[in-house]
Amino acid sequence: MTWALVVRSLVRHPVRTLLVIAGIAVAAALLLDMVMLAGGMERSFSRMLLSRGYQIRLSPKGTLPFDSEAMIPAITPILEDLRDDPDIEQVGPVLATSLHVSVGDSLLTVVGYGVDPAAQGLYELESGTDLAPGDSTGLVVSEPAAAAAGWRLGDTVRLQGRLDPQSARAAVERVVVVRGVVRFLYDARGQRSVGADFRLVQSLGRQPDVDPASMVMVKVRADDRVDAVAERIAAAHRTVEVNSVAALVVQFRSRLVYFQQLSLILATISLVVGVLLVGTILTITVSERIGEFAVLRGIGVRRARIVRLVMAEGAVLTGVGAIGGVVLGLVTARYLDAILTSFPGLPAAISFFVPERTAIARAAIAVFVAGVAASGYPAWLAARAPIAETLRADAE
Amino acid sequence: MSVVLGRDLTKVYSLNGRQVAALRGVSLTIAAGEYLAITGPSGSGKSTLLQLLGGLDSPSSGRLELMGRAVEGLSDDELTDLRLRQVGFVFQRFHLMPVLTARENVELPLAEAGVGRRERGQRAAELLAYVGLADRSDHRATQLSGGEMQRVAIARALANRPALILADEPTGELDAATGAQILALFDQLHRDGVTLVVVTHDEHLAARVPRRVHLQDGRIDRDELATAR
Repeated sequence: MTWALVVRSLVRHPVRTLLVIAGIAVAAALLLDMVMLAGGMERSFSRMLLSRGYQIRLSPKGTLPFDSEAMIPAITPILEDLRDDPDIEQVGPVLATSLHVSVGDSLLTVVGYGVDPAAQGLYELESGTDLAPGDSTGLVVSEPAAAAAGWRLGDTVRLQGRLDPQSARAAVERVVVVRGVVRFLYDARGQRSVGADFRLVQSLGRQPDVDPASMVMVKVRADDRVDAVAERIAAAHRTVEVNSVAALVVQFRSRLVYFQQLSLILATISLVVGVLLVGTILTITVSERIGEFAVLRGIGVRRARIVRLVMAEGAVLTGVGAIGGVVLGLVTARYLDAILTSFPGLPAAISFFVPERTAIARAAIAVFVAGVAASGYPAWLAARAPIAETLRADAE
Repeated sequence: MSVVLGRDLTKVYSLNGRQVAALRGVSLTIAAGEYLAITGPSGSGKSTLLQLLGGLDSPSSGRLELMGRAVEGLSDDELTDLRLRQVGFVFQRFHLMPVLTARENVELPLAEAGVGRRERGQRAAELLAYVGLADRSDHRATQLSGGEMQRVAIARALANRPALILADEPTGELDAATGAQILALFDQLHRDGVTLVVVTHDEHLAARVPRRVHLQDGRIDRDELATAR
């Protein structure tokens, strides 16, 4: 009986009800998008860094991984020391440098990554075969690089390094064979990249005599030992920056604090708009139907029931609006994410909006609770209507 | 047994800062099974008295007992429960829930009283048949004529088998023929032992009621029993 009264009361003014639901849906969508935005980048950053299970990064002192062109010199003894640590399962050095290949009459510049094929956390194979440990003539390429150079699996490629910009001639060249097409985890959208053996790329890059590396990825056997291992490495190798992924996420979060504050403010505004919308429309509805509520009270309906009736109307409005808002929010988040992630230089694996069940549930519940709370005042108005006075006014 | 026992009832309203006395010391006793009409000119206090008798409003002073219970000591929930179970209201403008069907309107006080779905469906069907609307039970209130709406309102008033039915100008919004049908229904209720109090301007209605209480300026100036009908 209660629900029949609630639903039919809402259907009595279908256009008004639909407009309110649409308004709540827009507010809920904005709230959901802001909740996703507030934590989405952080989550996708963390997910990206942990995608191959390496929990620690070593980078040049005072920098973050791939933050600058600085190098860690004399990497070999560091790698040997790390490999001797019983808590460490794998050690993956990475060297990033510019490499060049001749394509027809022109020279194509690609980002060259030197990796240890036995311990790499930089890419995932998409087709072909991976580099085998000790494979000093193999090459893996990104889809955009393959497309730009016209490479196919098995093609022979002449990789050139240390290009003289005056003469456009390379100081060093190595012949490699394309083994596979891969997705580099930290690449920007459309970035042309290749991967080869670490020592091979060292020989093609700048200052090979200093034994450089851009970064070292470390996989610790037990997750609960990560911080202790990171501290130990930092103490043993004071010339490098040592960060666990958790620490990197904290640093990333501090850089995003303004972003999160903005999201929080917009989310709060959308929630307030939802509350005002529900509160206003129900107050108007109750005022229009105050005579009906007085009659209900007159024939013996308790105040608590009247409160439940009005709050149930608020719950239906916000419930339907929240469901619509989740759908709308996910659609708009996808569209906005496509726009934002197309910024140049941003890793393709980074997302601004990460749809997670908890975020969706949190936004939907927040809208629902706020909407129901907003119906408290009109419910109170309806329940407190003076019966005799209202009926008298109605009869005049 | 007295269904209503009122002693020196007064009701004073504040109107634009001015105190207006709607009732000035009304004493009234209504026995079970009585059929009583409250008459009087506009502003004489008829509707105010009816609202006091139904527990819709409280007197400014005096003592009022409904079904043996003193009204002034009751909490809001107790008074609401008293209205639900012991009093049935029939309003001049029917006051049905427009979004509900005739059957659902009759079921409303039954549902509030905690009667189960099946039992209240059965009771509503019986009551609608009693008022001659068995075939209109699934029509929304807005799809009914004035006379039909008033019959549904009477069925709703009877739903919880109240000790007292209060009707405020029940034929005021109806044409003469439809009004006559409603009066015939009231006669039937009286014959069935229901205690009825009707506020009316309608001399035709008042003339057929066994007991007539006439109000003038908030006081009872006549309380008479009809000698013959």
